Amino acid sequence: MPTVTTDAIALSNVLAELALRQLPCGGWAALASSSQPAIEPTCYAALALGSKPVGDIERAQDFLLRTQNPNGSWPVVPGDDQEGGWVTSVAVIVLRDLVPAIPARLRGFHWLLDCSGRESNWLWKWKFRTADRHVRFDPDKFGWPWFPDTVSWVVPTAFAILALGQIPCSCGDLERIPLRVDCGIQMLFDRACPGGGWNAGNGVVYECPMAPHVDDTAIALLALSDRGQHPVVQSAVQYLERVAPTLTAPWSLAWSILALAAHRRPIASLHDSLSALSEFLTTEDTGTLALVCLALDYNRALSAFGVTV
Amino acid sequence: MKVTRRDFLIRTAALAAGTAVTAPFLIPKYHSDQRLKRSRVAVLHVQQYSQELDRLLAAGLRLFPINVTGKTVVLKPNLVDYIPGEAINTHPLLVLAAAESFRRLGAKSVVVAEGPGHQRDTQLVLSQSGYQQSLRDEKIRFVDLNRDQLIRTPLRASYTGMRDLWLPRTVLEADFLVSMPKIKAHHWSGVTLSMKNMFGVVPGARYGWPKNILHWKGIQESILDLCATVPVRFVIADGIMAMEGNGPLNGTPRTLGKIVIADDPVAADATCARLMGFEPSRIVHIREGARFLGNASPVLIDQVGETVNAPAIPFQVVPEFRHLYEQ
Repeated sequence: MPTVTTDAIALSNVLAELALRQLPCGGWAALASSSQPAIEPTCYAALALGSKPVGDIERAQDFLLRTQNPNGSWPVVPGDDQEGGWVTSVAVIVLRDLVPAIPARLRGFHWLLDCSGRESNWLWKWKFRTADRHVRFDPDKFGWPWFPDTVSWVVPTAFAILALGQIPCSCGDLERIPLRVDCGIQMLFDRACPGGGWNAGNGVVYECPMAPHVDDTAIALLALSDRGQHPVVQSAVQYLERVAPTLTAPWSLAWSILALAAHRRPIASLHDSLSALSEFLTTEDTGTLALVCLALDYNRALSAFGVTV
Repeated sequence: MKVTRRDFLIRTAALAAGTAVTAPFLIPKYHSDQRLKRSRVAVLHVQQYSQELDRLLAAGLRLFPINVTGKTVVLKPNLVDYIPGEAINTHPLLVLAAAESFRRLGAKSVVVAEGPGHQRDTQLVLSQSGYQQSLRDEKIRFVDLNRDQLIRTPLRASYTGMRDLWLPRTVLEADFLVSMPKIKAHHWSGVTLSMKNMFGVVPGARYGWPKNILHWKGIQESILDLCATVPVRFVIADGIMAMEGNGPLNGTPRTLGKIVIADDPVAADATCARLMGFEPSRIVHIREGARFLGNASPVLIDQVGETVNAPAIPFQVVPEFRHLYEQ
């Protein structure tokens, strides 16, 4: 594992900015110009703050507990009327070390177990095998959708794998977890781009190999950190190693650092590049700001995601 | 003729059943007729992307009685993803030229807004496609519609069966929304023009990447519901370098050398379709949109600028859409 001296000044500056953006309700908005709290940026911000003496992590955790849906899922924003979404995975990851959150997390795990891509249903499997074959994938290998009633995609599947990997026991109905996780992992392998890496989840469309995306690849690699020997994973790591040094966008660069660190690849120069990017302090996107914090403090971030290096 | 109680009940039941079956086809699926009495479309011949676009576009806009004084103008380009060498996105020089023109016309503010449908890292798409530096240099604000504040919005048409969508505040509060598509063939919808371009206002944070629910509810139907709910006031379509074949990402660049400007998205898209060599009435969202969103018939369109000529060879499309040009 490479050792990198954390740029303490950069990290403290970003953390301070993040703390400033915390809303009175305890959550964070996706954009600095907005006052509408959202679950995804709140989760990243809460992970970034962790035990740091900035911001109000307890208020953030309370916010997350307050906004959970009765069915165990989390909405994208409070007041959203749908039956939950993929952010449920991130929320249960964030609440991992909080004892009062155990019942909420269990409800979240159950919701995740009951949620699957539409192609898991026999009718849609049949449709994708017979009438709708322009996107190449195996409908027997399914994971998690962004939102119910749609098919599986790479990012929500990867986050669900990370979340379900943190289950403390297999009590109750949770013994189904290994099967679901394994199916999700097979789905990730199946949806990889032919040239290495992942995009949203369409590797080949109309016989045309599609290009991978950095952040989708990195998040999938985090979920597959214990599958480093698999050729699909190795090919994805190579893609990321090739592309990451060229990145100037902090979101993708931050995810790359986390993924490559999880796969024990050298990241010192990427870390320096991220620290040197001055523009992220002025970014509108609070999720990006939080991700930068996590990448600058990657060992703690990987631990929070349940990734052991 | 004597009608027994039994006959009466059977006939009443038959009438009720008939009404239940036919009513959905007879009742309009839109709330209001938004069509202009007459629409105006200008086709400009432009050979290449250059600083000249400022002057050419300003001249094009003078062909329209636009009043944006004191208004908030939102420019919605087509910014899906970045693949080197592919003509995927509306060219940034055209967007800058539009921003400059609307500023000169007295707009209170001009904002560029988009929610890329494939890439979660909007900033990466912005920087790779040349937008980031240009917008910064010209002090034009960009709003990521995938992460903007969400407002639950009742739909003003019912083609998808969805009652509402959560849509971004920036778009809903715009006084003057300009759709700036890239003229492309599309493997799921036949074409992607100013109406399909509105998929980009649907927030990824709420609906995912890609915005899969719109595919499940029907792409053509979703286009119609969206355009009914978020009215496009103006269109500036980038057809200087267009795309044919397996669009929206992996098609082949095709030089068309045109910018299409219009005060009506249906008229704009019908004109673009003709320039691509397609019969507009064979494109479901254009045909249906002509019932309530705008005018597709040349009889109802005041054509200014160049005349619209179909190309000798129509744009290539995937096999499912060959009916767009076949006799």
